[in-house]
Amino acid sequence: MGRPGFGDRGGGGRGGGRGGGRGFGGDRGGGRGGFGSPGGRGRGGFGSPGGRGGGRGFGGRGGRGGGRGGPGGMKGGKNVIIEPHRHPGVFIARGKEDALVTRNMVPGESIYGEKRISVDGDDGTKIEYRVWNPFRSKLAAAILGGVDQIHMPPGSKVLYLGAASGTTVSHVSDVVGPEGLVYAVEFSHRSGRDLLNVAKKRTNIIPIIEDARHPHKYRMLVGMVDCVFADVAQPDQARIVALNSQYFLKNGGHFVISIKANCIDSTAEPEAVFAGEVKKLQSEKFKPQEQLTLEPYERDHAVVVGVYRPPPKTKA
Amino acid sequence: MSSFKNASKSFQKSHKERHQPNARQHLGHLEKKKDYKERADDYNAKKIQLQYLQKKALDRNPDEFYYHMINAEVKDGIHLDKAKTVELTDEQIKLMQTQDKRYIAARHVMETRKVARLNETLQRLEEAPSNKHTFFVDDEKELKRFNLAKRLDTPASLLSRRYNRPRTADLTKTLLNVKDPATIEACSKLRGKGYKELQRRMERQQKLITLEKKMEIKKTLQNKKRTVKERIAPETKDAAPIYLFKQERCK
Repeated sequence: MGRPGFGDRGGGGRGGGRGGGRGFGGDRGGGRGGFGSPGGRGRGGFGSPGGRGGGRGFGGRGGRGGGRGGPGGMKGGKNVIIEPHRHPGVFIARGKEDALVTRNMVPGESIYGEKRISVDGDDGTKIEYRVWNPFRSKLAAAILGGVDQIHMPPGSKVLYLGAASGTTVSHVSDVVGPEGLVYAVEFSHRSGRDLLNVAKKRTNIIPIIEDARHPHKYRMLVGMVDCVFADVAQPDQARIVALNSQYFLKNGGHFVISIKANCIDSTAEPEAVFAGEVKKLQSEKFKPQEQLTLEPYERDHAVVVGVYRPPPKTKA
Repeated sequence: MSSFKNASKSFQKSHKERHQPNARQHLGHLEKKKDYKERADDYNAKKIQLQYLQKKALDRNPDEFYYHMINAEVKDGIHLDKAKTVELTDEQIKLMQTQDKRYIAARHVMETRKVARLNETLQRLEEAPSNKHTFFVDDEKELKRFNLAKRLDTPASLLSRRYNRPRTADLTKTLLNVKDPATIEACSKLRGKGYKELQRRMERQQKLITLEKKMEIKKTLQNKKRTVKERIAPETKDAAPIYLFKQERCK
């Protein structure tokens, strides 16, 4: 190839580089050097007829592979750690994801297009988890915010007011598990339809398309529950929760209420609205135990957790 | 014979190339044969090249002509093709600009979706949320005695770990599926990668938004029917200019 050159200009040298340099003599000038076009032709300037199988081709991964890092075969959930959460039934997945998850009761199904993570169990079976997005679910936001209690251990019965399309309900159903029950109340027919579809797949959800203001209409469907979760975003939210609790919540049962300050009073300060709601709840024999705002996931939202008709304190 | 030669070598003093003695250190590095060879080879290679070029110059045909000679020029020592001017009508330019804008808009939508998708699984658990957690107590006495770690039933060292503060009874429980530290390390690496990607995508999204806005304003300014009242903010690297247009009555 050509004359000896000054350093990098004169072609020659490494051959692979630029597809055969400046064309003295019969270079084939094929391909892009080292990438190994399938025919195994052009490795830069050498152009040996019939080629050498082109660059990389060690078989196996082919094409673009090799970029993943770490030892080969990082498949099947080895690249994720599942950490049990403070609240039983909830987990944290840390790997490529960094997310709150629940164990999917119906493996292979996504409810609202959420991501699923499959992990090898101890006995070689696959366990599937679903990602729980705190930007879409106030309960998830409260959990990530560090709430003390959600009062929904596996096996418990939950009355869920304001179920909407059943996205959070599906996660609550995962949390309470097959022994638990979720009564999901939603008034809107449109989102109720989605809720029904969720309930078709999950036997522990009982969908109720009814106005939560009239619990007597569905009193035949609902038994005593351990916990009431309310996300109804109505000005008379406290009253709605109180009515339902009178019917269905056991004494000493718990409530988890999400309050949207704008829906109660859009002119007042959120803090004042939350305090007002807590006052209302207290007058209805609810005893709040903690309150948590939902930043950064929601603005001017709070979750109040407490106990209903607590047993009187025994003097120690 | 050769065995004698080899044997006699063992009596020879072996000559090693010495380094610069301390006394002559001020004269700098002492060149070795290896260095000399490299320098000499380089010198000779350049000499040959220069001779070759000189010869070529002498042999030059003064009548030689290629069109590339008049279509290219040397600017600041760089040999470049001259730019060809392309004739475009106003309509063509307008069309190209709208298509550019549409392309940018499409990329913007794509990037937004990807960011949303990544945000779903990368929930920034390590970052402490900016929320406010209130506990209700019965009386003053309880308030005085209040201890957050005790109330939450978690070790005090884990209090800042908002996203998951295990109860003291559950501390013996380990990670569910993975035990070896190598995997944990690999996982944290993967996570870092994910967050980096998210960061980059968000930056790109921001850039695309700015670019889209700039193109939009440019198009609006070209519209003869709109008259600018004043420019409120100038165009900067990462913000489109803001103009106030004269209000025009729609017919």
